[in-house]
Amino acid sequence: MVSNSAVRDSTRQVRFTTAGVSRGMLRLMPVAIFVVPFGIGFGAAAVQTGLSTIQASVMSGLIFAGASQFAVLDLWQSPLPLFSLALVALAVNARHIIMGAALSGWINQLTPWQRALALVTLSDANFADTQASLRSGDPEIGYLLGGGLILWLAWTTGTILGATIGSHAGNLDQWGVDVVMLAFFAAVVCGDLRQGARVLPVIVATAVALLTVDLLPAGWNIIAAAVAGGLVGAAQHGR
Amino acid sequence: MAMVTLATRLAGPWLMRHVPATPRVAAFLEAMSTSVIAGLVVTTLLHSGLREGGAVIAAVVLMWVTRSAVAAMAAGILMAAVWSAMAV
Repeated sequence: MVSNSAVRDSTRQVRFTTAGVSRGMLRLMPVAIFVVPFGIGFGAAAVQTGLSTIQASVMSGLIFAGASQFAVLDLWQSPLPLFSLALVALAVNARHIIMGAALSGWINQLTPWQRALALVTLSDANFADTQASLRSGDPEIGYLLGGGLILWLAWTTGTILGATIGSHAGNLDQWGVDVVMLAFFAAVVCGDLRQGARVLPVIVATAVALLTVDLLPAGWNIIAAAVAGGLVGAAQHGR
Repeated sequence: MAMVTLATRLAGPWLMRHVPATPRVAAFLEAMSTSVIAGLVVTTLLHSGLREGGAVIAAVVLMWVTRSAVAAMAAGILMAAVWSAMAV
């Protein structure tokens, strides 16, 4: 019953160790290296929009969510439309809620402070990596924090570089650097399917994401896709 | 903004505290976790072009053959770089 791996594992004792955190950093190092150019791009764009170097760096350090940070640059004006900024942050980052819920079987075995620590750097790439390792039967939550820390370091360092020296670091897109995250996520979906994840929820999620992208505000089509895929998985259960 | 973003990170497990971990709920969450990543891939592809599509195909093929995400990323990057070089 490969497809029930997570069902079995979520009853297994979760681990949250410093060794896991270190291994999480190493596991996502290859991704994090390529996050630096994205950070440089954001830092340079932020300074062009009118943020100071400090503001841009603090923003990356505290928020650590690239897509929403780029989105709010479009709204940056004086006085700051704080409510609109908060709404954009909520819309673009609402998928974190889905990702956290997906990990809840493991996370909620931890103490409240450990939960907060494990989740503080939750983002797309470390979620993808951790859910893959949990699925393969390794109940270690340290990977989530470790992966998040190395991504955070890369994103913040990149932002500081970009805000200080501008985008002179050059445009690396011609070297294919821009597709790293996309290739990583595609690989994780492929790996999940190899680990026994069912195909139909992924097909339905893909269709829903495509069909709702023009109907829903930015970001929500991914949530619709995730919930639709989950419902198909639940409906298939036991068959 | 920072507070809202942090709240989205903490909210998932908090909302699930009192949901009983039945096998059906676990099946829902397990399918959802692959689906959210698939949704990200599709949405990104929709806003990009053939070059990115080629990179995804290269990554998927390498992942299927080698089971290594690093090899898959390398293949995706290589494909995109070659595509850019040919297009210039």
